[in-house]
Amino acid sequence: MAILELNNVTKTFGTGHKQVDALKETNFSAEQGELIAVIGPSGSGKSTFLTIAGGLQTPSSGGVLVKNQDLANLNEKKRSKVRLKEIGFILQASNLVPFLNVDNQMKLLDNVKKDNMTTEELDALYDNLGIKDLRKKYPADLSGGERQRVAIAKALYSKPSILLADEPTASLDSEKAYEVMELLKKETKQNKTTTIVVTHDTRLIEYCDKVYEMTDGVLRLMEKSSVK
Amino acid sequence: MFLAWNEMKKNKLRFTLIVGVLMLVSYLVFFLSGLATGLASLNREAVDKWGATAIILTEESDKSLPQSSLTTEELDAISENKTAILGQLNSIATNGEAKQNISLFGIDPEEFIMPDVTEGEVFSEVNEVIASDTLKEDGFKLGDELELSSTDEKLTIVGFTDSARFNAAPVLYGEIDTFHKIKFGEAATENETQINGIVVRAGDLSSISTSNEDLEIIEIETFIENLPGYTEQALTLNFMIYFLFAISSVIVAIFLYVLTVQKISMFGVMKAQGISNGYLSRSVIAQTFLLAFTGVVVGFALTLISGAFLPSAVPVSFDIFTMIIYGVVLITVAILGAVFSVLTIVKIDPLKAIGG
Repeated sequence: MAILELNNVTKTFGTGHKQVDALKETNFSAEQGELIAVIGPSGSGKSTFLTIAGGLQTPSSGGVLVKNQDLANLNEKKRSKVRLKEIGFILQASNLVPFLNVDNQMKLLDNVKKDNMTTEELDALYDNLGIKDLRKKYPADLSGGERQRVAIAKALYSKPSILLADEPTASLDSEKAYEVMELLKKETKQNKTTTIVVTHDTRLIEYCDKVYEMTDGVLRLMEKSSVK
Repeated sequence: MFLAWNEMKKNKLRFTLIVGVLMLVSYLVFFLSGLATGLASLNREAVDKWGATAIILTEESDKSLPQSSLTTEELDAISENKTAILGQLNSIATNGEAKQNISLFGIDPEEFIMPDVTEGEVFSEVNEVIASDTLKEDGFKLGDELELSSTDEKLTIVGFTDSARFNAAPVLYGEIDTFHKIKFGEAATENETQINGIVVRAGDLSSISTSNEDLEIIEIETFIENLPGYTEQALTLNFMIYFLFAISSVIVAIFLYVLTVQKISMFGVMKAQGISNGYLSRSVIAQTFLLAFTGVVVGFALTLISGAFLPSAVPVSFDIFTMIIYGVVLITVAILGAVFSVLTIVKIDPLKAIGG
């Protein structure tokens, strides 16, 4: 069953001769437990694709279905609720709150949403991500890799159906970048999450089940072996 | 509250400074309110102790007690029977060492405006008086023989009563005959029915009436407001207090707005994660409440502590009920100041905040 579908989605900015087609007619589908990479150069429309898929903006036309619910027809308040319930974000810039320690980053989500991970599940997640000893640390006390792993833990803590990661390895060296991708793969398979990673780093696609390439607003499915 | 509290715990110095500013503003508000109450007491303390509903003066006196002149015979023209006669004059009293402006109240000790004696005894003879105990701080004591500026008569302090001042002067209470002797001297007998006013205690002002058209029934609060300088003084201090309310609201608004602007990106990320405007706004309001409440409570305590060490010459009197009301107003205006921050949060576009 498709967890996320984009049907004939377009996104246009501006009008007349200033019109930019950031996303040309796009069709996309992601199943439960899939780890998908969307690659492409800067300005190709990757982030527009990700933010439309995550309900952060609405398409100019077409439909975005999250578990068969069309986000394009919802107002911001309702889309916000869908994001909270169904979607986890891992952003380029850390999505951590600077004045909360690692444990409290999770507790913040308990304040706004029920049905998050149990204590045991969270302990196991900390173990998997190797951040068990960082529970009382604040973001400023963490290295870039540690921050990214905490951000992954935070994104997974609310048990989202869909995990959207925007350049999750951008600030990391190669070793740490592979480590993060390994973790994303493990969590995707273990929790049956649908994970979409937007990246310009083609070295990461070996961890993914499917690879899409975005070029000038056009999204197309690639054979992994054909990606240079 | 979770976000608010944790942010304050993590950034103690920043929030201590904000609490410090709010504390100083509330300290100033409480102190001015104490000064307003103290200065008001200087004028009205003795009148408040009557527990009276109205005072009857002559129409032509224009609500001024010393300018009013009537006789005890006018009592017959008054509908209420709970009345008290009052003769009043201002003078300067000296016991040979200390000198002080005083207000002499000539009364009938059997009537309700007779004060309670806290030290010494009730006057029983002409020229004996009970004095406001504030005179003790000026060097007057029991048994002192007082010379007055306007007469050769001498008064003896036989007792003290709790602080009682009228128009900024400590009050001496004596028999109405004492008042007559001092005011009229040898003509006292001819003027033995002369008084300045009649104080009336009734359930309701409308139940008081007089058949004498030359007399005016004045509600006690109106009478006090017409004391020389009283209203002008009260208005000045109250304006200062109201301006401080407005200033504190603006200060809080600026502080919180700057803090909110610094956190726009963080709020944007949280909104992208699906955390609602309502939750974030409540967090800012809760934080404002905690800051304002702490500032006001510390300011309140500081005011009472410094009040205890002030010299008695400073006319400060803290009315706890008024201070609580002002404290609540300060917290409320601080929360109103947070509205700008809430509007900023509502306007944050999560897409822009995360750089999409």
